[in-house]
Amino acid sequence: MLAYIVRRLLQVIPTLLFISLVLYGLLALKPGDPIDELRRGNPGFTQADYERLREFYGLDKPWYVRYWRWLGRAVQGDFGPSRQFGRPAAQYVFENRLPNTLLLSGVALLVALVISIPTGVLSALKQHSALDYTVTVFNFLGVSVPIFWLGIMLIYLFAVRTGGFLPAGSMMTPGITGAWPVFVDRLRHLLLPVAALSSLHLAQWTRFMRSSMLEVVRLDYLTTARAKGLREGKVVYRHALRNAILPLITLVGLSIPQLFSGAVLTETVFNWPGMGRAIFDAILVNDFNVAMVSLMFISLLILACNLLADLAYALADPRIRYD
Amino acid sequence: MTEPDKGTKLRSRDTESPARTTWRRFRRHRLALVGGVVLVVLVLCAALAPWLSPYDFARQNRRVRFSSPSFSVPIELQSLPQCRQPAVLWWRCGMHPFGTDDLGRDILTRVLHGGRVSLLVGFAAGLASTLLGTLIGALAGFSGRLVDTSVSRFVDIMLSIPQLPLLLILVGLLANPEVPMANWLSQTLGGAKSIVIIIAVIVILSWMSTARLVRGQVLSLKEREFVEAARALGISRLRIVLRHVLPSTLSVIIVQATLMTGEAILIESGLSFLGLGIQPPAVSWGNMLSRAQEFLYYPNGVYIALFPGLFIFLTVLCANFVGDGLRDALDPRLRGRL
Repeated sequence: MLAYIVRRLLQVIPTLLFISLVLYGLLALKPGDPIDELRRGNPGFTQADYERLREFYGLDKPWYVRYWRWLGRAVQGDFGPSRQFGRPAAQYVFENRLPNTLLLSGVALLVALVISIPTGVLSALKQHSALDYTVTVFNFLGVSVPIFWLGIMLIYLFAVRTGGFLPAGSMMTPGITGAWPVFVDRLRHLLLPVAALSSLHLAQWTRFMRSSMLEVVRLDYLTTARAKGLREGKVVYRHALRNAILPLITLVGLSIPQLFSGAVLTETVFNWPGMGRAIFDAILVNDFNVAMVSLMFISLLILACNLLADLAYALADPRIRYD
Repeated sequence: MTEPDKGTKLRSRDTESPARTTWRRFRRHRLALVGGVVLVVLVLCAALAPWLSPYDFARQNRRVRFSSPSFSVPIELQSLPQCRQPAVLWWRCGMHPFGTDDLGRDILTRVLHGGRVSLLVGFAAGLASTLLGTLIGALAGFSGRLVDTSVSRFVDIMLSIPQLPLLLILVGLLANPEVPMANWLSQTLGGAKSIVIIIAVIVILSWMSTARLVRGQVLSLKEREFVEAARALGISRLRIVLRHVLPSTLSVIIVQATLMTGEAILIESGLSFLGLGIQPPAVSWGNMLSRAQEFLYYPNGVYIALFPGLFIFLTVLCANFVGDGLRDALDPRLRGRL
């Protein structure tokens, strides 16, 4: 097992290197450069300034030379300055953006888990009941709805139509003090984006949990458990659920990175200053350092979640042994 | 799987072709049937858009900005000529069944025209992505260990690169006039360029799940007796793949293609919403939504957001129903489980 973990961890390094090379190369191929952004707002900007700044930033060198330089600093933890904000890119991303994303995605993840597991189990136990059909229809709706449109409709229903019953966007109302009012305010701002963001995973996981449970309840060992006179509740929760939940671990592990980077649509609709939007904006205005540090963080997260999902699976299921 | 039918009926089913069996089973899945019918209607309406609507989808009309959905024609508009053609009988000139947007353009007309682009992108990207995934998956599954490992590794890496940023970069890249291929693209494609770019980008980013699926299928089928028998008969590897293995995975591939179509429509709408997909003046369901949020506080402004989104939702929902119905019909063992 330990050898397996070490091997997987060692695999992470070349994979990350390769991904960073590809992303850097693609970014370098994008039209325009960061100096264009400077020139745009500055009428006194001469061609000489342009050349000087290009040299200063090292943009006159070919992209692989720049990549090599960037890599040399990145492995020492220096991801360069953000050209939009005039401060270290890593500091900006990890202090101003990551916590917001953790809040939104974390709550959405929890909500999806807490609702999908019991719903999926109930739906499977009462297969072909009215409840099961309702859940199935909702699952179809959840995987089919465009998240950003759902967000816009939620804003219309709960913020516009009701005259500001819930806030239409952003993270907080400025000027609120005191622990409890701030908590309530944050919660009110979270409700709609969490509802929109969690809808897809809620539906996917409920559906998955249902089918996984249906798979398990057919197995002989449950008949045995019932035959020896165990209470139904115990059969379901101690015997069936424990096995049925295993595949969900993998699925959830693989979804976490999506929640981080794929939230750009939700963040745009709700004006939520998270990572997805930060990456999007950084790419648009050629703030490569911010884009690279965020993208590398998310790639690392994807690889880590893949590994953790595999390990958690092995931990939960003694039949699986990696070697 | 024993059928309780006897006699003649049994005989007729014995000789039934697989396609007929599938169709018979598919029809039993009511939601899938409804979904299929709705999809066909949507495709027809989109295809016939210029003949169904009396308006031009890009024509602005300052007099009727933000009008509410209605089947009546305001009196002050009745005498004014404003239609391109007298179209379908019930759709009279000046009538706006879905209302009008911020520039006074008819929303239903734009939804119909937008459907042409969105559905085209969905079907084309869904199909192409499935084909590419199948090809790569089959290659990995049926080649030697080296090819399989490198292809699988490549798929892993593609899945580890954050999708949306990659999408962004690719869209920007293909639209860049400095990249030689992009220049050639705009010369050959002209106005359809943004559609082709979006299809290409969706395909590049979505073939991996199909490839994994097909590879897994091929790997397990490879060990089955009928393949061994074919090999013992001395049939070439290529022929075994094409004639024996791939047809057995066809059911999985068809289902995957249906689901990928829905997925492609969702990706297109998201990209266009962010302003990166289909560019105006061309219209798609996604780009109709790109400015819709601004008008939520206007009277009747919500219809600008409501209808295009509703059509995306409906289309993807129907595609998912059809995919589910096909899965049940093609593989009855899975019925009701997934």
